[in-house]
Amino acid sequence: MTAPLLTTERLTLRRPEGRDHAAYARFFADAEASHFYGGPLRADQAWGRLAEDIGHFALKGFGRFVITRQDATLGGCGILDVEGWPGHELTWWLLPEARGQGIAQEASRAVLSWAGQNLGWQQVETHFRDENAPARKLTQSLGGRKLRRETFPDGIARDIYAMPTGAEGAA
Amino acid sequence: MPVLAADIPVIETARLILREPRLSDLDAMCAFGASDRARFVGGPMADWQVWGSLTGMIGHWALRGYGWWVLQDKSSGATAGRLGIGNHIDWPEPELGWHIYEGFEGQGLAYEGALAARQWWRAQGNPPPISLIDPKNTRSRQLAERLGATIESQTTIRGHHADIWRHPEAHA
Repeated sequence: MTAPLLTTERLTLRRPEGRDHAAYARFFADAEASHFYGGPLRADQAWGRLAEDIGHFALKGFGRFVITRQDATLGGCGILDVEGWPGHELTWWLLPEARGQGIAQEASRAVLSWAGQNLGWQQVETHFRDENAPARKLTQSLGGRKLRRETFPDGIARDIYAMPTGAEGAA
Repeated sequence: MPVLAADIPVIETARLILREPRLSDLDAMCAFGASDRARFVGGPMADWQVWGSLTGMIGHWALRGYGWWVLQDKSSGATAGRLGIGNHIDWPEPELGWHIYEGFEGQGLAYEGALAARQWWRAQGNPPPISLIDPKNTRSRQLAERLGATIESQTTIRGHHADIWRHPEAHA
C-alpha cells in the first residue's frame, strides 16, 4: 500500500498512527476546542477516534490526515465521509500551539489539491454549525461557496459549502 | 481505491470465512446496531455510529496487530456477524468478543468462529484471553461456557457491569 504523504512549506500530512494518540487525547480533552467535534472525549474515546480515522482511509481511500511539523503532531486535516450523514466534509482540528498561524489553511489547501489530483474531484464539500464562525471564515478563504442547507441526523441544521480543488473539468 | 492500513488474516472454518471488514458489511452491521440485540454491546446505535464501529474495527488492527473479523457465511456469502480479539485502551486486557446477526443464531456459528479466533490468538503466542459479558446476556454466557471459559472476577466497563470470563489454558 502507498500511504499518501502531503508536504507543504511548513507541514507534512500523513495517515494517522498509534503515536498520534497523545495529540488526539489532548485535543479531545479540551471541551472548548473540541466542542464542534463531538467533544470533550475521554482518552479511550479519543483512541477510538484515532482508530476510526485510520479505518476510514482503508475503506474509502481518503480520510483525515494528521498535520505534523518537524515530526510533532499539531492536529488533523482531511476529508471524512461518514455513512448516514449528508455528504462528505473537509475537516480540520488543531492543538493550541498550532493556532493563529495559518496552519489550517495551509493544510486544507494541500488536502484540496490532493483531492483534485488523486481522487479526481473538482470540489470538496464541508459543513459546520451556524455559530462556528472560524470554520466559515476558513471555508470562505478557501473559495468556498454555499451549496445548500440540510438537517443532519443529530437534528442540527448546517450549511453545506463546496470548495474548488483546482482540478480541471466540468464540475 | 481503498488501501488497507493493516494486514488482516483470513481464516476459514467449516461454515465461515473470518475476513477483513468491508463497506458492503455496513448494512448488516447497521441492522444489528439498530436492533434490540445490540443492547448488551453499547447499542442501539444510529447508522453513523455504526460507521464508527466499522472504521474503528480496521483501525484497531492497525493499532494493535489484532482485532475483530467479519464473519461471512460460506454458503450464502452473507455477513453473519463479527468477532475477534479487542483491546481498547480502557480494556483490562485482550478480550474475545462476538456479535451474531439475526438469522444466524442457534447454529453454533459463534462457537465455530470464536474457536477459530481463539486458536489464531493462541498460535501468536498469547495467553488465554478474557471475555467481558453482561450477566444478563444468557446466550453469551452459554457460549462462554461452551468455550470452556469460567468466571474469574467482575468489573465495570464504560459504566456497565460485566463478568470477566477467562478462557482455558488448554482447550480444543
